[in-house]
Amino acid sequence: MAVGGVREGAPASSREAPRRGQGGRVGHAGSSGWLPYALLALPALVYGTFVVFPLASTVRVSFYDWNGLTPPVFVGLGNYVALMGDTLFWGALVHNGVFLLFYTVLPVGVAFLLVVLLTQERAVRGLALYRVGLFVPQVIPMVVVGVVWRWMYSPINGVVNVALGWFGADPRPFLGDVTTALPAVGLVATWVQYGFAMVLFLAGIQRIDRALFDAAAVDGAGPWARFRHITLPGLRGEIVVALTVSMIAAFRVFDLVFVMTRGGPANATNVVAFEIWRRAFQQREVGAAAAVATVLVVLILALSRLVLRLQESEQ
Amino acid sequence: MGPWSKHLRTTAILLALVALLVACLPGSDQQAGDGDQGAGGGDEDTGDATAGTGGTEEGVDDGTEDGTEDGTEDQAGGDGGTLVVWDQWARGVEGDVVDQLNAEFSDEHGVTVQRETKTLDDLNATIGLAMGQPDGPDVAQVNQGRADMGALVEAGLLMDLSAAAEERGWTERFSENLLNRNMFSEDGAQFGTGNLYGIAPQAEVVGWYYNKATFDELGLEVPTTFDELAALLGQIAEAGETPITFGNLDAWPAIHTYGTVEHVFVDTGYLNDFIFNLGDAGFDRPENVEAAEIVQTWVDEGYFTENFEGIGYDDSWAQFAAGEGALMLTGSWISGELDQDGYGFFLTPGEAAGDVVPQIGGQGVPLAVRADTEMGEAAVDYLDWMVSERAAQLWAEAGGLPSGEPPEGAVADQTLLADVVDGWQTTLESDQVGHYLDWATPTFYDTLTAELQLLLSGSVEPQAFVDTLEQDYQASSG
Repeated sequence: MAVGGVREGAPASSREAPRRGQGGRVGHAGSSGWLPYALLALPALVYGTFVVFPLASTVRVSFYDWNGLTPPVFVGLGNYVALMGDTLFWGALVHNGVFLLFYTVLPVGVAFLLVVLLTQERAVRGLALYRVGLFVPQVIPMVVVGVVWRWMYSPINGVVNVALGWFGADPRPFLGDVTTALPAVGLVATWVQYGFAMVLFLAGIQRIDRALFDAAAVDGAGPWARFRHITLPGLRGEIVVALTVSMIAAFRVFDLVFVMTRGGPANATNVVAFEIWRRAFQQREVGAAAAVATVLVVLILALSRLVLRLQESEQ
Repeated sequence: MGPWSKHLRTTAILLALVALLVACLPGSDQQAGDGDQGAGGGDEDTGDATAGTGGTEEGVDDGTEDGTEDGTEDQAGGDGGTLVVWDQWARGVEGDVVDQLNAEFSDEHGVTVQRETKTLDDLNATIGLAMGQPDGPDVAQVNQGRADMGALVEAGLLMDLSAAAEERGWTERFSENLLNRNMFSEDGAQFGTGNLYGIAPQAEVVGWYYNKATFDELGLEVPTTFDELAALLGQIAEAGETPITFGNLDAWPAIHTYGTVEHVFVDTGYLNDFIFNLGDAGFDRPENVEAAEIVQTWVDEGYFTENFEGIGYDDSWAQFAAGEGALMLTGSWISGELDQDGYGFFLTPGEAAGDVVPQIGGQGVPLAVRADTEMGEAAVDYLDWMVSERAAQLWAEAGGLPSGEPPEGAVADQTLLADVVDGWQTTLESDQVGHYLDWATPTFYDTLTAELQLLLSGSVEPQAFVDTLEQDYQASSG
């Protein structure tokens, strides 16, 4: 060890002293390597109890036929095999895919638009107010959002139908029509989700050196060029976070669907998380529900990994 | 240390943790057997010498007939122990009725009733585990059907009430065609026959509410045949009114609409076989196709509220209560929400005048007894009390529909509730209690609601609708 060598070979000098001290410290930490683990024990216990254990239980239960009451019967991969041919499950997965558009693509787009508008060179009057106001949907509990929007979509004096009525449109049962139910629920998700991306981007933009914008302006770059070449690359980290988080949200959506349509009409808004609930609590097929949950977790992990990979490869 | 070895180490630790936890998972013996002492703490077969309803009965506690059941009561009157009851009568008036009944029961039997109220969803979710605990509730409302009561029976968690039903006279007051909804074979496999596991103080019947003012205005009479009913709907539509107030955003109301029409053409024998999966009753029958055709025609004719697909059930009956629409086809549970003088109620008429056809309905969520309770005798007394005439009186006075007949005078004449009680009693006496079709298989609710939404929107033909449901039925019943 270099440090040891120095210590032994050279007499104490003012320059060696701190090194020597360091060496001693290193030795101390080495001899009691349990300390970091001791400090980790509590978080690990909490994490293990509330995350790892339930996760492991779910995976285990997914190999059983179990109604939650009588002794479980081991069925191996039976639940997964059944899932492969389950049209309800695949339909639900497709709907989750559609929700990617409403949870991820649209909110990020809207957020960009708002960020550009809110960060004009000439400061917008009442900027703070706009920021807060635009962020509000993100703060409201999802169940409340669902209940309120269900009213708003109602054909009996719902705000949406009343507003469309001003333009001469007849009221429509948006949530009860197989063709409109999914986009109707999806737009609510967009309304909730953009605020998160917006705040992320606003924070990120403040990190970008203003001088870059000024220099670009001097060089004759227009607003679009500045956005394309300065803002967008500068926000790469925030974009990845927004994409990852909203993508996860798109795949685990439950509350909105449960409150607004319960997966209907005719399963038009059915999603994977709702299938879990349906199996576990309506049909008491706990094993089958656990299998769906396990697939969902694997799917979300894989997708998150993919987004992170994309980011790494770009860098 | 490179990033890889760090990753490896973290992964290894995590894996070890997972392995450890998996190893610690409980085995298949889910029954919690820890020596928890029962909350009741009362002696087994706590007597009730003072019991008016069943003081002389004996041997009804848990179906285990051990010859000379000791009817000896050591704790009569004073401290009969504590009976823990879980129910879902959370709403104001209902809660008051139950509190009142509990107080009277306590006074008479010297048993303390400890009541815990939950929402139906919470109750359904927790009851399975609770009934397996030694300190679980002695009596609880257990949802009917294979997935709930059936699973509890299979797990051996519910007390067989068959003997009690004989001795307390429940079998005389309620036909088997009503009690069968709470019956299962001992292993829980067969629904609708075998042992009795629950009894309910409330009843439900689905029928037609009508707005008396609208009927007077249009000069309409209560129909006596199904054809008259159909003609009536046409008349109302012609007059520019909405014939049937309807909202199907919640999907289940259509089950009642379709089921009501279907019930006109089938009998209770078929319905029992179909629901309980006895014999080879399938869904693909001409009657079921005909009913689907009729309902689809009603949609085409504009007999239902416009845009019903997007209207929730609560909004829908609120509209009806506010005077919109001439009729509403739904269950007795909304009778308390409507003006007692402004609305009436009639059963779905049959093909010939005077025929009583099957009416969708049954008992409400039944009370069941935990198999291992030490308060078995008191629990049966409690159930008997909850279906007594006194209970029927209190329920009726509170505007609800009791499962038994309320005493004379409990329901004011000429009121909506009087119509509903009459309708239920007629259904009971003619033994024409029908079924909620979604009970047929564990997935039937989902399939039926989805297919009905398609049927009502005209995107599936009646025969195809019936075919899909037949497939679901065959897949489950094998």
